[in-house]
This record gives sequence, structure tokens and C-alpha cells, in this order.
Amino acid sequence: MAVEVAPEASTAVGAGQLALLVPVGNDTYALPLERVREVAVEPRLTELPTAPPVVLGIFNLRGEIVPLFDTGRLLGLRPVNEGAYAVLVETEHGIAGLAATEMPLTVRLSESVGRSDLEATTETFLVGDRRLAVALNVAELLSPARISR
Amino acid sequence: MSPPEQLSEQDFQRLFAAEAEGRLDTLVDQLLTLEKSGPSPELLASLFREAHTVKGGAAVVGMAQVARVAHALEDLLEEVRRERRGVDASLIDAVLGGIDSIRTLIPLALAGEDHEAQASEAEQRLRGGLQPRGTAAEAAGQPAPPASPSASAASSGTPVSGHDAISRSEAAQPSAASASAPAPPTTSPRGPAVGPAPAAPSAAAPSAAAPERPAPSEPAVIHPGEGGHWSGSEMVQMPVHRVDELVRLIGEASAATLRLGSALLEQLERDPSTVSEYRDLVRSLNELQELALRARMVPVMSLAPRLRRAVRDLARETGKQVRFETRGEDAEIDRGVLDRLADPLLHLVRNAVDHGIEPPEERRTLGKPPEGMVRLHAMQLGSEVIIAVSDDGRGIDVARVREAAGRSDSTAMDMDDESALYLIFRSGLSTATRVTGLSGRGVGLDAVRASLNAVRGRIEVRSDRGQGTEFRIAVPITMATLRCLVVNASGQTYAIPLHSVRAVLMPQPSTTVSGRAMTMFDGRPVPISSLASVLGTGDGCSGPAVVIAGLTRTHALAVDHLVDQRDVVVKGLGELVPRLPAVAGAGVEPDGSILLVLEAAGLIERARRGEMGTHYPSADSVGGVAVEPAGTPHSSLILVVDDALTVRELQRSIFEHAGYRVQVAANGDEALVRMAEERPDLVLTDIQMPVMDGFVLTEKIRSQPALSSVPVIILTSRASDEDRKRGLEAGADGYIVKSGFDQAALLSAVERLLGAPA
Repeated sequence: MAVEVAPEASTAVGAGQLALLVPVGNDTYALPLERVREVAVEPRLTELPTAPPVVLGIFNLRGEIVPLFDTGRLLGLRPVNEGAYAVLVETEHGIAGLAATEMPLTVRLSESVGRSDLEATTETFLVGDRRLAVALNVAELLSPARISR
Repeated sequence: MSPPEQLSEQDFQRLFAAEAEGRLDTLVDQLLTLEKSGPSPELLASLFREAHTVKGGAAVVGMAQVARVAHALEDLLEEVRRERRGVDASLIDAVLGGIDSIRTLIPLALAGEDHEAQASEAEQRLRGGLQPRGTAAEAAGQPAPPASPSASAASSGTPVSGHDAISRSEAAQPSAASASAPAPPTTSPRGPAVGPAPAAPSAAAPSAAAPERPAPSEPAVIHPGEGGHWSGSEMVQMPVHRVDELVRLIGEASAATLRLGSALLEQLERDPSTVSEYRDLVRSLNELQELALRARMVPVMSLAPRLRRAVRDLARETGKQVRFETRGEDAEIDRGVLDRLADPLLHLVRNAVDHGIEPPEERRTLGKPPEGMVRLHAMQLGSEVIIAVSDDGRGIDVARVREAAGRSDSTAMDMDDESALYLIFRSGLSTATRVTGLSGRGVGLDAVRASLNAVRGRIEVRSDRGQGTEFRIAVPITMATLRCLVVNASGQTYAIPLHSVRAVLMPQPSTTVSGRAMTMFDGRPVPISSLASVLGTGDGCSGPAVVIAGLTRTHALAVDHLVDQRDVVVKGLGELVPRLPAVAGAGVEPDGSILLVLEAAGLIERARRGEMGTHYPSADSVGGVAVEPAGTPHSSLILVVDDALTVRELQRSIFEHAGYRVQVAANGDEALVRMAEERPDLVLTDIQMPVMDGFVLTEKIRSQPALSSVPVIILTSRASDEDRKRGLEAGADGYIVKSGFDQAALLSAVERLLGAPA
């Protein structure tokens, strides 16, 4: 699959870095904090008819129109189908929202516990006692090719 | 709600304003020629005709005051034509003064402001010019043409500087001032742009260094889009991105204002619309936004030099003689839109030279002038700019287009000419036509159409074998705001760009034709679908149906209800959202919610796919239901002959609305060509037209056995008995005076001759 990987793709999360933990269903993902602009709570979504299901809708962020994506579907996993929280990330193609099912929190990551073989992810980190968080590769995850596949 | 597809009186007034602008430019141009080279019958006839056409157009669109001034202008020129008055500087001044008055009056009339006083004054000034001044010398002696410029120059002591357009009006000023009434500052707003004016303005005319623009019409805010041309010192140049930044910041300020409004409501419980400071802020921001958008506007004709060069180069390359003409210098358009039009226009112009215009020898054998003509005509019409690229070449061979397309699509063979003509926009057709070596208009036209799609434009084509081809592009003036019809379907509101809305039909039962639901529009069946089911957001909608038109197809979409019409600031959905053919973008509503803006062509395509259960190979494969012409095949055909676009389009609208089919022609010659193609049931013709006037046309119709029984109505703004007599002698069945006609009277006159439309 042709995936566009941005130069900034290297801004992946690593040990000792601040990351945003994004709960999606039963799973938790980690995003490099410098990629995150803000988190919108219960954004007022407008459904986008005829769009692929990975696009949950669009919403108005202070006059800017921002798409909200189904994080589960983007990863090729179970769909989220809702956008209780929108994590707004900066990508080279503009700002986009990733749906989260619970309020995301900031943590400082400890050592990586190993590589993740999930698409568009990098490594797995242990957060808290027994929770694992998989670090997302934002550039790969939110590439036009992945979205329209 | 009234059907939005019918042009309003104001639309016609704007159309007239745009047309008049061009005609007034021509008048100025010709006046300068008259002054320079002296009178000739052709020149005087043409001057008279232009003034006459402006008068007629003004009367038709209800600008009575403008019509009066134009009438006075026409009378003055008539005096000259009849050699009752000579050509001298004061005459030129008087006419220029009249032209300037008309230019001042039209915007006032458009804005609905009172302009009676100015009109009367202008009329009197012109009528004053009719009074014999120095009668003996002027009336008796043949006007000595070459002497006039020098006479005017001499009167102000200015050395004659060749064909200097500027020195003319400046030098002439004092002599006008010495005449009975002080003329307004007569320098045409377009003065410096008319003709070559290499010489610097003569220094010896200090009194003429008066303000270039008439003071009374000076708007409070200078709008570059309102026809103003000013000297270099009043202009600043700035990089486009700075303007864009300005537009963006204003957009942000507007968004912030909306938030401020909701904060007022939520935190202070004050309805923002009752807070005057808030209202002031919103109003100023709106004005600011409009001004900033205007700052992005550039004349369409800024592309002309590039196109002119392309024409010249290609003509040389192919050994053809081609004249490139432009009209509509004042039409402006958003820079972003124009940038995207550059390539399509270049393509069309090159096509016209390469495939349209015949080599000089061939033209001679055909009885055409050896020099071919390619014309670029731009005109603002409501929120759109219409750009036409026309040529007087060989036209498109529809039969061969059909044949070429027929190899891959058997339906092509059954298409009528109009539908078949649109096959040239199909991708892939070009190669086929090239191989067979036919005039190959198809080359890359699919690319042209695709570029136009990107700027929400439409393209239409008309072609007459042996006569030429015209491509008409309609694009929105700006991509930033779009006039939309807002509808609700399944609880969601959507905006449909008004430029693609043809009509709104009240709820009515649909019929099923070969498995597809159809409804009747303008006397012909149009497929109908529910907007909610086309978008996949719900089931049937029970309210009115909106008839939309894509590039080639018409479709009715039922909605739940209509909301309103408004200007939507359309934003893109960003790069990450895949391109959705049915969604053009989105706007942010005052309450912060999002309004989706739909795209006609994409909607139609989805609707058809849904209804037919098949996937169509090309995005909107051409053929089938053509958008034009309206009217049923059985309804009577009316041929409207008038050189004034405003009048033609007005009449087309009136008759099509009444259910007739309408064809138009710009002069008698063209009318005869149309009539040879299809015999009309009635001809409605103007008198004064270039090439062949209405009298001659009537005589020709009467002299041809096949046509002699076609009723002819002469429609003119000249109410003279002499004309009426001549018209009836030529064989006209009726005679209607434009200034006195209203829609109902015109229709009843036609119905008397034809019976009501089928």
C-alpha cells in the first residue's frame, strides 16, 4: 500500500516524553503531545453524506471546519462510530480530529515495552500498572491514502 | 417562493448595465474616430445604432430616465446623420457628456436611487446641443472633417498631438464650457484606456485637469468593481497573498464575533441582535469582508494579452488571418477563479484558430472575409461572469462528432444535434476524431470541462455549420461566497448553489417511466428523486422539488421544505476528506452550526446511479436530457431577432416561461440562417441591427415561398409613423413599440398570432 509518510513522522513518542493517552473503546493510544492542538469535548458534528464511514462528520472549530475521523476504523479495528471527544492533531494536510471515547489525559511515558505491529503505530508503552498504550504514527494514520482506501 | 430560475427585473437591469457599458465604450471609440477621421455614412449609422440600442435596452428594462437621455443622444446623432448638424468639438463634447451622464445614471437606476434631476439636466444639455449654433456655417458648409480636431485644439490653444485620445477631451473641454450649458467633467472614465494614447496629456489645458470622475457620483467608498478607472497615483499594488491574509483574518474576526454573540446570550442573557454595538460590529465586518473580497477582483480581460498573443502566434503558424476582438473590459472576477480559467480559455481560443477559422483562400471561396474573427466577450450577470469565446469559422460538424462517438456509444446515433454537440466534452472522443482527421474540436475539451468543474463553472456550446462556434463559460465571480437555496431534507439543512437551480416545483405526483420516477418541468419529463435518499440520509421527502441542472442533465430533487436563499461563505472540507462529488463544501452558520453546500453535477450522478441501479462509466456522461432548450417539442417556435443581448435574453425568458420554444439571432442575416435550419412559427424582430436590418429581413422572409407565411412582428423603440409604414410595407404583421411594451402585451400579441403555447 502506498502510504505517504511525512518527514515529521519521526516525531514519534518515546520514553520520557509527554504524550496524550487517547482511549478508544477498550484500547488506549498515545499521541506525541506536540502534535496535539487541543481536545474538543462533544463537538457538534454534522454528518457528511456520501463520505466513507471513516469520516464521522465535520464540526466547526472557531470558524474552521474540521473533519472528525473514526480512530478505530483508521487503524483497521472495530469502529468507534461516535465522537464524544475529538483530539485535534496537526497534520501536513491540515488539522483533523481523532475520535476518543473517554477524556484523554496527559502522561509522561516510561520505557517502551516493544514494537507494535499494528498499522500506523510505532511502539507499545506501559502506562500505569497494567495498561498498555500503543503510540500512533499520525502522519501515516491521517494520510489521504489511508482515509480513502 | 417564486421560481428562482426566472431572471428578475434587476437581473435584466444588470445585464443591460453590462451590455450598455460595452456599447458606450464603442460609442466613445467611434466618436474619437469621427473626430479624427471625419464623418462617413457607415460610422454615423453605427454611432446612431449604438445609441439607439442603448435607448431601447434601457426602455425595456424599465430605466426610463436612462432611456430619455439615450433618446436625446440618438436624436442629436440623427441630426448629424441627416447632415443638419456638423461635426465639431462641441458636438463631440455634447455626445461624450451624454455618454458620461448615462454611465452615471445607470448605477443610480440599478440602486433604485432617485436620478430624475440628473437625467433631466443631461437631457436638456443634449437637447440644447440640438439647437442650431452657428447654424449658417455648420449646416450650409459640408463638415470639413480633418479640420475639426484642429479646430477644437485651436480653440484652446493646444497643439494638435496626432491621434491623442486624451488631448481630445482635454482640449475640447473649454469649448464645451463656452457653450450654453456647462458640461459635466466629460473625460470618460475609460478615457485613458480608449485608443492608443502615447503622448502625455498636453500641458496647455489647465482647466481640463479637473477631477476625472464626476463628483456627484463619487461613492463614499471606492469600489474597484464598480467601473472606476483612476489614475496611477490612486492605485496601490499589493501581493495577492496579502489580500488573502486580509480575507482570512476578516473571516476569523467574523467567527469571533459570532462567539461573542453567543457569549452575550449565554453569560449575560442578552439577545445580541438587540445590542446596537454588536450590530454595528457585525455590519462593519460584513462590509469589510465585501471590500476585501472585492480587492481580489481583477478584470477578466487581464487575460486578453496572453490570449491575443496565442491567437497571433497560432495564426502565423497555420497561415491564417485572424483578428482577435475583446469585449467587456469591465467585467471583473476573483483572481483565484480567473487563474483557473486561464488554461481553459487558452485552449478554447487556440481551438478556435486551429480548427475553427478556415485558411484565407477557403474563406474567400466561401464568400467570407479572408480575415477570420475570434472574439472574447466577458459580461457580469448577477453573481456570475459569462465569458464567451466565439469564432466565425467553419463550425462543428455534428454528424462527424456523432459518428466518432458512436463507435464507443451506440446511443450517440439517436441523439438530436444539440445533445450530440455536447459529446465533444467526452473524454476519449478527441483521439477518435483526431484519427479520422476531422476538425477535432474534441481535443482536450474534457479537460476544459474538468477545470471548469473545479471552479463551479458551466460550459455551453453553440455551433452553426459554416458560421462559427461559440463556447460560453459561466463561472461564479468569487469562490468565496455563493448564493444558495437552503433546503431541509430529513432534518438536515443543505445549501444548493443557486446557479444550478432551475426551478422549484410544488409537490406533485410523479409518474413512472421505464422504472424511473419522472415529473414534468417546462413541459418535459425530468427524473425526480428524494434528496435524502440520494444522500443516503433518509427516505422519501414529501415537500417541493428543486430542479437542478448539471453540465448536461437536469434532475428534480424532492426536499422536505425550503428554508431560504442566502449567500454562503463556502469553505473547503480540507485535504483529508476524500473528494465527494455531491458536496461542494460547507459554510458556518451564525449559530455555529455547519451548512453543507451541495454540488449539482455530483448529486445528479448519484441520483441516476441510484435510480438506474447501474454505475455510469464517466462522471457525467453526456447526452440524454439536454438542459436547453426548454419548451416541448410541440410548442411553437419563436425566433427573436435583436442585436441587443439584453432584449434577446429578456424576450427569451418571457416566451420560454410562457411555454414557447425560442431561438435567437443577432441580426437579419443570422435570422435567415436559423430559419433555414428550422422554420419558426413567428419572428419577432428589431429594426436597427448591423449586417441586415429588420425591414430587409421582413422583405426577405416575404420573398421566400417557404417562409412567406411566417408571421413577423416588428419590435422597435422607434415610434415614428414613417417606420411603422415602412415596416408594414415590408410585410410585417404587427408593430410593437418597445418603450410601450410590457410582458403581458407582448405575450398577448404573440398569442393572437400563434394561439396559446401547446
